[in-house]
Amino acid sequence: MSKAIEIEDFSYKYPDGTVALSNITLSVEHGQRVALMGPNGAGKSTLLLAMAGFVKGTGKVLIDGLQINRKNLKKIRTSLVSCLENPDDQLFMPTLFDDVAFGPINMGLEAEQVKIRVANALQTVGLADMADKAPHHLSAGQKRAAAIATILSMAPRIITLDEPDGNLDPRNRNNLIKLLGALPQTLIIATCNMNFAASLADMAILLDKGRIIAGGGAKKIMSDSKLMATHGLEVPSKIK
Amino acid sequence: MHMANELLSVPVAAGTLAIAVAGLGFVCRRVRQIITSDKLALMGILGAFVFAAQMVNIQLPAMPGTSCHMVGAVLLAIILGPHAGAIVISSVVIIQCLIFQDGGLLALGCNIINMALVPSYLGYFLYKSVTAPVFSSLRVHIGAMLACVIAIEAGAILVPIEAALSGVLAVPFSTFLITMIGVHFLVGLVEGLITVAVLGYLQQLRPDVVVDFLPGKVRLSRKAVLITLVVFTIVIAAGLSLLASGMPDGLEWSYAERPDQPDFESIVSSDDSTIVAIDDFQSKYSLMPDYSIRTSRLGEAIEQEVETSAGWTSFAGVVGSAVTMAFIWLTARILRKKQPTEA
Amino acid sequence: MHHAYIDKFAYQDSPVHRLDSRVKFIVVLVFTAVVISLPRTSPGILAWYAVGPFTILVLGRIPLRFAFKHILMVSPFVLVLALSCPLYDKTPVTVAFGPFFWQTLLGWMRCFTILGKFIVTMLALIALVSTTRFSDLLTGLQKLGLPKLLIIQLGFLYRYIFVIIDRAHHILRARAGRKLRNLGFKVELKTTAAMLGSLLIRSLDTAEHINIAMQARGFNGSWRTISKLQIRCTDYIFAIVAASFLLALHFFVRPVLQ
Repeated sequence: MSKAIEIEDFSYKYPDGTVALSNITLSVEHGQRVALMGPNGAGKSTLLLAMAGFVKGTGKVLIDGLQINRKNLKKIRTSLVSCLENPDDQLFMPTLFDDVAFGPINMGLEAEQVKIRVANALQTVGLADMADKAPHHLSAGQKRAAAIATILSMAPRIITLDEPDGNLDPRNRNNLIKLLGALPQTLIIATCNMNFAASLADMAILLDKGRIIAGGGAKKIMSDSKLMATHGLEVPSKIK
Repeated sequence: MHMANELLSVPVAAGTLAIAVAGLGFVCRRVRQIITSDKLALMGILGAFVFAAQMVNIQLPAMPGTSCHMVGAVLLAIILGPHAGAIVISSVVIIQCLIFQDGGLLALGCNIINMALVPSYLGYFLYKSVTAPVFSSLRVHIGAMLACVIAIEAGAILVPIEAALSGVLAVPFSTFLITMIGVHFLVGLVEGLITVAVLGYLQQLRPDVVVDFLPGKVRLSRKAVLITLVVFTIVIAAGLSLLASGMPDGLEWSYAERPDQPDFESIVSSDDSTIVAIDDFQSKYSLMPDYSIRTSRLGEAIEQEVETSAGWTSFAGVVGSAVTMAFIWLTARILRKKQPTEA
Repeated sequence: MHHAYIDKFAYQDSPVHRLDSRVKFIVVLVFTAVVISLPRTSPGILAWYAVGPFTILVLGRIPLRFAFKHILMVSPFVLVLALSCPLYDKTPVTVAFGPFFWQTLLGWMRCFTILGKFIVTMLALIALVSTTRFSDLLTGLQKLGLPKLLIIQLGFLYRYIFVIIDRAHHILRARAGRKLRNLGFKVELKTTAAMLGSLLIRSLDTAEHINIAMQARGFNGSWRTISKLQIRCTDYIFAIVAASFLLALHFFVRPVLQ
């Protein structure tokens, strides 16, 4: 069986020449929960975009066995769906229903099927009766849950999330941890919040200045205090 | 300026609505073939930007206490092209009507024509005429300023024309026209300055967004601004004086005076036969014929019976409807008190 | 911005809220046309027409004070133009109102008619917008034939107006916090351009993110939505009642004005 994500020697430069990612090699198995850690500006968001096929660099990127190219892009985008950092970017339709239905509709499902998927997705994230609300009426925590619902309705195999815990108060953060923890999908979560990562991840990848510094078991990497400090992070209090 | 329902007559409103709908429909169909999916988000966001930009007030020079704001039609036409620009500003006008009740439903046709269709295309055409042969910083300045002033003036001029065709207002056409032109000249100038400045900003940071690449440095240079200001002042002053002398004194398009006034026929018939035709059309096909008020002249007796019955009807109307509304309101309150209150 | 209030009211529940948006829109459109076509110099009959939107507002539980405050806020332009009527139309006329008679100018009659029509049509528009969710209104307009591209554009606009206006508010507040005195027109212009410029750049970044979000969920150029609009019995009843109301007024008032 193919791996969920396989990247071989991937490099990418911004249009102005700055190196964003250099010689990235990593692999993720199905069902794993990976924390993509690193200081600000390390390239975490760019790497997530590369996984979703939004970044054209040199090297190979395979999602669920398929290489990212124009022919495979449509299928890849049903296997791997990205959740952006800002929920206001993820929720762009006038109502929540429209947002959560956007993915399934683009996948070609029939109206009845779409309605069932939307209902299930909203139920999972705890927003079952908010389908007709407009996104600007939701609180920060609700927006984050709604953003995740927009992905769940597509039933992908892999989900990437860019700093999903940003702007959340402790209660909402805990709700998010519970929600993500119960999902069956492969998760790639970019974050610089160590405790958040420690609560969810079994694997970890440390990124700094566009390079992979370390990769492996989450606990092992996160408890290495010298490694964490060198790269602008800290050992999570859960592990200390 | 947003046109209001009440300053229009139904035929004019219907006509402008038809033009606006046809125009927009045509543009949408054409654009759908050219527009790529990534432009969809851009159009939406730029529309929201125009909204927000209109909130940014600038203190006008030499006029303490007054401020003006950007309209943005020409800027969008330059960035997105005239078709997409027209669609975006039209959507802004529609939202202003529906969500903020700025301008009425029936005036949507006028507002879309005045503020979206005409300024976008006219502004873009003027900008291109100036900048297409030779692309340079000075030409971008002049082109954008020219486009803004004339596009906004064009939209402003249409308002008195639409009002005059409707005949609801009593303001003489020439007065209304000159006021609108005068006020919007300043607005157009400031808009031009801001447009150029924002284009300069864009050119430095995001040149890929603008439909046609802006070459070189587009900086707000004092010399360019002065030259354009002088040119404009001369052009507009000349234009205004021509206008003022061309209009005969007392061109009163006042429709309250019915044909039984001796002077009325001569003024209207000696002028545009179109206006007479429209007036005829309106009285024939409008849902309610115009109320013929017997205007009293000094010394003449008024037909008291007609006045009395009409007067009592109005009285009955106001009292009756007040009673009806009070009844409805009270009933609703009583019924609501019987139901459990909702959160 | 009081956008929150209009939206808030639209999400309430009442018999009016449950009506189909297409029916409401067409009724309000026809009502507006009828009121506009009323004679230009008789404000009295407008009182009858006002009953229509008034009833809708009451049934829809929209506070009247809110409606009138709103009308006041958008009135300046119309007010100025209406007040110009007595300045330019000084035809003397005698007005009868019940048992009272008095001499006045025709211009005043026209002025009050304009203002009266303004208030009545605005009440109708507010009744429409505050009892209909904007997304439902959009879907209704699409079904009535508005081009799809325009509907998409209106949807995006509605979604992001408040986001960007909030950002603009923050920028304005930052300016207010740092502006200590009037610095002259040129500096004002420069700062305004800079604020607009930064707002624009941020907006462009947002547009790119939205585009990524759209493509990440499989968007490939064809836009489809699922409509949940349904015309029911109550919608027919409402349309019939509204039509009867307008027809009754038409036949009642018309003969008197001949």
